[in-house]
Amino acid sequence: MNDRKFLANTLCVALAALVFMLSSCGGGKGTGNDAGKTRAAMDSTLVVAMLGDADYLNPVLATTVTSSEIVGLLFPSLVQAEFDTTTGLLNYLTLEKKLREVPQGQLKKSPKGALAKRWTMSPDNRSITYILRNDAFWNDGKPVVSRDFKFSYMLYGSPVIASTRQQFLAELVGADKGHIDFDKAIETPNDTTLVFRFYKPVPEHLALYHTSLTPLPEHLWKNVKPEEFRHSPLNQNPMGAGPYTLRSWKQQEELIVASNRKCNLPKPGNIPRISYRIIPDYTVRLAQLQTGQADVVENIKPEDFSAVFKANPQVEVKTIGLRVYDYVGWSNIDQDAYRKNGTIRPHPLFGSAKVRLALTRAIDRQSIIDGYLKQYGVLCNTDISPSLKWAYDNTVTPVPYDPDGAVALLKQEGWLPGADGILRKNGRKFSFTLYTNAGNARRNYASVIIQQNLRAVGIDCRLETQESNVFFNNLEQKKLDAWMAGWAIGLEIDPLDVWGSDLKKSPFNMTGYQNPRVDELCELAKQKMNHMDARPYWLEYQQILFRDQPVTFLYWIRETHGFSRRIEGEELNISGPFYNIDDWRLRPAPHIAP
Amino acid sequence: MLTYIFKRLLIAVPLIFGVLTLTFFIIRLAPGDPAAFFIQPGISPNVAEQIRAQYGLNDPLPVQYVKWLASVLQGDFGRSFSRAQQPVIEVIASALPVTVTIALLTLAANFIFGILIGIISAVRQNSFVDRFLTITALFFYSMPEFWFALMMIILFALKYQFFPASGLNEIGAENLGPLAFTLDRIWHLVLPVTVLSINGAAGIARYVRGSMLEVIRQDYIRTARAKGLPERIVIFRHALRNAMLPVITLMGSSLPFIFSGALFIEVIFAFPGMGRVTVEAIFARDYPLIIADTFISGSLIVLGNLLADILYAVVDPRIKL
Repeated sequence: MNDRKFLANTLCVALAALVFMLSSCGGGKGTGNDAGKTRAAMDSTLVVAMLGDADYLNPVLATTVTSSEIVGLLFPSLVQAEFDTTTGLLNYLTLEKKLREVPQGQLKKSPKGALAKRWTMSPDNRSITYILRNDAFWNDGKPVVSRDFKFSYMLYGSPVIASTRQQFLAELVGADKGHIDFDKAIETPNDTTLVFRFYKPVPEHLALYHTSLTPLPEHLWKNVKPEEFRHSPLNQNPMGAGPYTLRSWKQQEELIVASNRKCNLPKPGNIPRISYRIIPDYTVRLAQLQTGQADVVENIKPEDFSAVFKANPQVEVKTIGLRVYDYVGWSNIDQDAYRKNGTIRPHPLFGSAKVRLALTRAIDRQSIIDGYLKQYGVLCNTDISPSLKWAYDNTVTPVPYDPDGAVALLKQEGWLPGADGILRKNGRKFSFTLYTNAGNARRNYASVIIQQNLRAVGIDCRLETQESNVFFNNLEQKKLDAWMAGWAIGLEIDPLDVWGSDLKKSPFNMTGYQNPRVDELCELAKQKMNHMDARPYWLEYQQILFRDQPVTFLYWIRETHGFSRRIEGEELNISGPFYNIDDWRLRPAPHIAP
Repeated sequence: MLTYIFKRLLIAVPLIFGVLTLTFFIIRLAPGDPAAFFIQPGISPNVAEQIRAQYGLNDPLPVQYVKWLASVLQGDFGRSFSRAQQPVIEVIASALPVTVTIALLTLAANFIFGILIGIISAVRQNSFVDRFLTITALFFYSMPEFWFALMMIILFALKYQFFPASGLNEIGAENLGPLAFTLDRIWHLVLPVTVLSINGAAGIARYVRGSMLEVIRQDYIRTARAKGLPERIVIFRHALRNAMLPVITLMGSSLPFIFSGALFIEVIFAFPGMGRVTVEAIFARDYPLIIADTFISGSLIVLGNLLADILYAVVDPRIKL
């Protein structure tokens, strides 16, 4: 009897605890009044779920994607850059001048966002002069002046600060001698005149691109020593002049920006508040989108679309592209020999262009696209994106999936099947390990298909994934024979980093590909003062890459981003999903509206 | 007892230093480069070199070690490489409150529910209740936490939207009053704490059951019952106290968990806690942060063991320190 009573008592205690817990949970929704407050907040707040946090809210130092997005909202820019989808060229706009005229109504961004009124390029293309607006102010009321730019460029160029944007200063006077002479390179005759001088003729579009780095307010930063620059509390509490200001930042959790009522560059952001929530787990970001707790989630995987739409019809997927591609890298040179004493000789397996072409033929790239990316993938021929229409060669027919052709090509190269069905040449088996970085579902999917395809033509390919840091380190040190990775291309074509024959100067030429004509074409194209004049060089470049197959280009990826339908006015293009976020508007979400 | 504690603490100092020194060298042996992030096309190759110089990674290893030792002895663990060069102590200080809140709630729930279920199972050995609780406990004990967490999110945040899927507070929660804010925080903590504590409680319940069963069979329990003591007193005062010994070991060993954080839960529910700090530091090869984290968890393991030993003596007068 006692026993039973004791049990009953214990159960009562447990139940009471549970009831207490649940009642406090219910209470979390708050009273009607409190719920109203959070609802109102939801209606005026755009929630963006991000994978990672910002690092420095400082244009000189910002390196993460989140930082760059937010810095773009907090700080003004000298000129507005706009990607023209009809040509694939970047256009630059200022209040009174545009690089290329655009038909009325086709401008996506307001030129009022630019700090410059107009610019003039010197006839010898060795200097560019900007005339700045006199009605632009930092948030503390001080005017934005030309000195701010000179000061900021000195920060960008400081080796102690180690900005990742040092490349932008590569043409300034003195850069060729290893030390930029800022007194000569950047002149500020008065508050509204800013002159950049180059040591060589620079095409106008490149001059605009490289001189439009975001400025910092000199009066706020001038007393910060370079060695203290990265530690300054101002990095966490920035003052800019853009359409938004920083409201609060709980690191690794949430960063909120609020519309800057004082802004005239071009105007205060439409949405009162934008909350960037840091949610490292993909599944949870997806769940947030499905429940309407997040309005934008980047990079939704195609396999999740149907579940998302089913759970929340208020979600739509928007695509951007084509800027990212995956490839299989084949080491063109024998890396062991290269690492040992710098000798360059062809790789025993992948040294011949014919063999690499055979490998591309053997791989059924279309079936990887059909199986994983579906309509969000496009066969890739070379690293010039079809989106860069002005340079893209649309006459190239993709290498077909042709295992028989591959076998024939390999036979010509002396690779014949052995007793076990694996190809052999001079006693060497065609057998290697294909490495990729861990945690990428798309590459895992592709690598399995590649393995099967290669097995079918008698090539033994083992798969191995490595932790990303280790993988990239190995790649950089040329320790891998074959690997799968990807590149995101820049909007200005500059592939020498990846294909340059001087392997010491081209650290990203992991394949060791060398072709003097490619080097030459890249240089010739750079020297042209007009984009379109460089087109013939880029066409030839694509033909050469297509012929040499330094890597097997797999597919271009259309990035797919989840958007809540309560967002209006969004314009996505290759520059990114948040391209015109200050122009977005929010409709009250149906399940939130009272 | 005080001498004993003092001695133990004294031994702990070289031990922890040994651990830190080992960590210092082992992480530098691991492949990967703290400046790897700065090696990409479009970034001048000089940048990685400048960054390495800033971090002091170009010095020979022994020099790096001596410099590090000198600053650690002054209580300075340096600045984080990966988190905008914040002092590592600040990084940890901002992550600790989140982790400690979750861990304390979890531990309380763990032990309360674990001990209760354990007692019930033991007292009602082989009954339907016992079997039911045992099977349920095993079921949850063997479930991977990350999967369980995702299932809970799918069920209670997606399908039935009772609880939020992630985060510590609702949008606009800062406009709420302090009470409503706290309740909102608790509401956000229900799912993660439930996931963590169901798994933990199930384990503790198994320990308590086993240990209770052994104690209940002892002569002195029979004596207590023969004296006519009420069952409640027999169980709680006579049996439970003796059955708690193994549980105390568990309490001691869960101290590091309080401060080291539960990685899966923090990643899945997007809490900026210690687990994430540590793992992200490892992936970024953020040496100062990794060492500071090791210091904290190392010290806590030592302290936890000491605490368990002291608690033994408190609970069991036969143990003399």
